[in-house]
Amino acid sequence: MSDLFIAASSDTPEIDFQFSNKTLTISGEAYPENGVEFFRPILKNLQSHLNSMSGEQLEFNFKLTYFNSVSTKILYSMFELLNEYAKNNPNCVLLNWFHDEEDDMILSFGLDIQEDFTWIDFSAIAIS
Amino acid sequence: MLIDVFTVFREEADANGIVFYYSGILSQNVIKTMGDSLKQKLQIQDESGARSRKVFSTFIEMIQNAMHYSPSTPDSEGAKEGSIIVGRENGKYFIICANFIEKQFVPRIREKLDPILQMSAEEIKQAYRAQLKNEQHSEDSISKGAGLGFLTLARDSIEPIEYAIRECVSTNDEDQLSCFYLKATI
Repeated sequence: MSDLFIAASSDTPEIDFQFSNKTLTISGEAYPENGVEFFRPILKNLQSHLNSMSGEQLEFNFKLTYFNSVSTKILYSMFELLNEYAKNNPNCVLLNWFHDEEDDMILSFGLDIQEDFTWIDFSAIAIS
Repeated sequence: MLIDVFTVFREEADANGIVFYYSGILSQNVIKTMGDSLKQKLQIQDESGARSRKVFSTFIEMIQNAMHYSPSTPDSEGAKEGSIIVGRENGKYFIICANFIEKQFVPRIREKLDPILQMSAEEIKQAYRAQLKNEQHSEDSISKGAGLGFLTLARDSIEPIEYAIRECVSTNDEDQLSCFYLKATI
């Protein structure tokens, strides 16, 4: 199973999806001019990996520090995919939600995700 | 003489708490550079992390909205144009963005913004949540913000957002274009 790595730029995040280690990390900032264009292939890649997996534990580290509204919408559908996988494979997805302790915007999005996607095990981690 | 005028412009801007001002061509590269500059300026002013982030986020949301909606005018040889100002008044930051819009989009923008202006903070939160879940919008080819942009601005603004649509006087396309202004407070 091949890993997916995309280096960060000033307006796009680093994507470090190590399917081989079952650890997926996204970090940096996300406000590309065309968010759909940037994220669509990444979501497709994730979907096809999830389709080929069964009963395997997956850890997702969410470390974004800023994302615009277009990216927010797409990230939401990304967690929808993970929730689907977790529904078919209970207790298999752990989402570590890293957020600056001062940043209520990031935490509040995390709490929305936690509320809407209940199959995912959610863990908020405050960074000081 | 022009140096005198510019001196007044600069001094007035400083005296009125203007942190950042730009008027001109909008591209993603320009936006990234402006974002960096604004971040550094807020850091120098020792603004708290939470507030800086909200000013930055509102700035990016507004200016990307301007880039998306403003038509490529013949005046600017196909480029997008817009203006944005960030300032501090009575301990609060205000961000105002201005851009041309095609007159045909005026009803569409009013339809989106007018209901938001009437909402309480709690209603804005609920509308935001509903829009986040709404999948139909992702296929909307005009609204790239998936309808979430204005709600994000309204949610983060500590005073109700304001907007104005005015006649354009400084363009050759007066018949087709209006000027759209949007203001948020952080």
